[in-house]
Amino acid sequence: MSTAVGRSVGEGWRALRLPLLITGVIVLGVVVLLVATAARTSGPFSPDSTDSSGARALATLLEDHGVEVTGTESLDDAVGSGSGRTLLIGPSGSLSAEDWRRIAAARWDHLVLVRPGRTALETLAPGIENASSTLPAGSRSPDCHLPAAVKAGTVTVRGTTYTAPPGAEACYGDGINYTVVRLETDGRIVDVIGTQQSFTNAELANDGNAALALNLLGTHPVLVWYLPQYESSSFDDPETDDGPPLIPPDVRYIAWALAFAVLVVALWRGRRLGPVVPEPLPVIVHAAETTEGRARLYRRSRARDRAAAALRESALGKLFKVYGIPRRAEPTAVVTALAARTGMDPAMLYDILYGGPPVDDAALLSLSDALQVLTQEVARDVHDR
Amino acid sequence: MVVTGRAGLLAGLGVLFVALAMPSWSGVGVVVAVVLVVCLVDVLLAGSPRRLQLSRDGDNAVRLGQQAVVSLLVANPGRRVKGLLRDAWPPSAGVQDPPHKLDLPGGERRRLTTHLVPTRRGDRKAYRVTVRSIGPLGFAGRQGSHDVPWTVRALPPFNSRKHLPSRLARLRELDGRTALLVRGQGTEFDSLRDYVPGDDVRSIDWRATARRGNVVLRTWRPERDRQVAIVIDSGRMSAGRVGDAPRLDHAMDAALLLAALATRAGDRVSLLACDSAVRADVRRPAPEDVLPSFVNALATVDAELVQTDFRVVVSQTLERLGQRSLVVLLTGLEPAVIEESLLPVIGPLLRRHVVVLASVADPRLDELEASRADLIELYGAASAARSRLDRERVTAVLTRAGVTVVDENPDQIAPALADTYLALKKAGRL
Repeated sequence: MSTAVGRSVGEGWRALRLPLLITGVIVLGVVVLLVATAARTSGPFSPDSTDSSGARALATLLEDHGVEVTGTESLDDAVGSGSGRTLLIGPSGSLSAEDWRRIAAARWDHLVLVRPGRTALETLAPGIENASSTLPAGSRSPDCHLPAAVKAGTVTVRGTTYTAPPGAEACYGDGINYTVVRLETDGRIVDVIGTQQSFTNAELANDGNAALALNLLGTHPVLVWYLPQYESSSFDDPETDDGPPLIPPDVRYIAWALAFAVLVVALWRGRRLGPVVPEPLPVIVHAAETTEGRARLYRRSRARDRAAAALRESALGKLFKVYGIPRRAEPTAVVTALAARTGMDPAMLYDILYGGPPVDDAALLSLSDALQVLTQEVARDVHDR
Repeated sequence: MVVTGRAGLLAGLGVLFVALAMPSWSGVGVVVAVVLVVCLVDVLLAGSPRRLQLSRDGDNAVRLGQQAVVSLLVANPGRRVKGLLRDAWPPSAGVQDPPHKLDLPGGERRRLTTHLVPTRRGDRKAYRVTVRSIGPLGFAGRQGSHDVPWTVRALPPFNSRKHLPSRLARLRELDGRTALLVRGQGTEFDSLRDYVPGDDVRSIDWRATARRGNVVLRTWRPERDRQVAIVIDSGRMSAGRVGDAPRLDHAMDAALLLAALATRAGDRVSLLACDSAVRADVRRPAPEDVLPSFVNALATVDAELVQTDFRVVVSQTLERLGQRSLVVLLTGLEPAVIEESLLPVIGPLLRRHVVVLASVADPRLDELEASRADLIELYGAASAARSRLDRERVTAVLTRAGVTVVDENPDQIAPALADTYLALKKAGRL
């Protein structure tokens, strides 16, 4: 009679319960941990980055002085209401003129633009322009009346410079172009900073860099630290598209449906009709294995003497049998008897059958040939008789 | 849980549906939901493979190379089961049939037949019966396995039985049926009969003639009721492959031919397979039972990878033998082993019994010795020559000790051993 093997559905569930629970807990824990520790921003001048080009040191310093720093990479955070708050816009990214206008419309009380481009300056800081020259690195005094700069004193600056319009405070420059420019229009402050490197983790400790940064950024209790990415609201705007899309938008749904179909087909083809049957296999060793192994040993150690001895003994055995020569006969007697019957030269016969070991491989081969010819001739001789 | 090609097709049609009708997340959701629901319904409606009741009958043993038939009786107490049934055996059992198609309404029974042609000697155990039951819609189904134990024993093939008729003819020449008139060694008294002109006068039994009044002749026949012990070495020397079978299988073939011949000749044959322990043991079966019992005992013997302990072999053999017997030892003629482990312990056996040592030679060695085209082959030839010289030397040593040595290629070993037996019988050495 038969007994069913394998587990029923209930048994399978009971057996799988614990492993599933453990796996679930582990996955959940990993997800929670990742979410909790995930940095919201990354890259150069990020308030979460501890690289030498990051600005984690500055963000920490600001928080120690009671400023709440919120790092973000989303434009939505930069276009909210800016009243009573500071917005820092990082150097990277590409925002359209429309985006800049939206930021301007949010009416931030204090805007800090780090190495802004032409569009940004036109929208947010009219009058300030990008200067073509860059400033070499070096400690410089403020040379202006901006209180934040005057209190900070000497600062290590370098990098992009800007020209200041009349009425703006321009500091840390060569007299024509400046790296820090402050513009105040109808109660709102716009700072343009060209010397981004001065506030990174690497250089914040130099001269009065930290003091300048705190003075510039610590004007309000809330600082939104926005790092624009290479995306902008205008990409979703169909009017700015330059032609039909290369990939039809439906393709990804079709791809998902196709993936599901492939999964079903894989299940259909992959399911075996019962497990693979184990087979206890016998050991397979060829009986001649040891002989072949010894042949390899002979070859590796170039045992020409042993090989020649074996071949000679074997040939002699055959000759003895054919001619009825006693096994213990003297070599000279054997050679004489063989020479008499085969008509070969006794000296040559002696050399073939009882000579010294071959000196090289060629000698071994020719010895083997000679022995074979001898035994074959004898066999033919006997056959003829 | 299994799905079929139809489910795959349905999912494939779903791709077209998403592409043409509903290119959205909801379209994908609809396709997935439809496929899952159809499959689930089918699984729930499929008959349960676990509830099937299976049992077997059929052949228990088959000679290697022939076909065994094992049938499987499937009873279904539940819902209709439609699908496939696979009767799984190990590969060496040589299942000939593809998986069976099964369509079994509830309450009915079916007999399915599996044909086996085993490719190796020994016991082949049935592994599992797996049933795949597809639901009425044909999209998905259930799968379950049953253990239905059964064993088919693949017996030694006894290929050498083709040599039996010719050897039996030789035996009859020796036998009383061609009455021997010459008394000699190896003959025993058979009967008295009347003198017929032409008979050898030296065979006349004068005493009987005096009693009866007419001339009476004595006839003789070869000795009968001798003991023959066949000892098969199942140690590592028998594991080496010669041709496409291990030495052990060739030895078994020779043993079976000898057993058949000796039984016909009226001798009692017993069998022992031994390495470091006894693997098979048949003690003097009834004449009609010799071959079946030998074949059965040898079916499960496999070469063990241990050095044969000849002390065990000799003591076990001695224990089984009373009167003077013929001991045939089937082993490998390996010089080191013979000299170091067999020769020191074979003395007690030689004192009381006649010992024949039969060994399967490897024709590969002759090939190796003959081919000398380049240096690599030359060293092979030298090595083969050395092997042969060593065998010849140990053969000489054994012969001097009183052992008859039979060293032949696999296709010749069985008839050669039979001939040796006949020669010994003729010479009256049994």
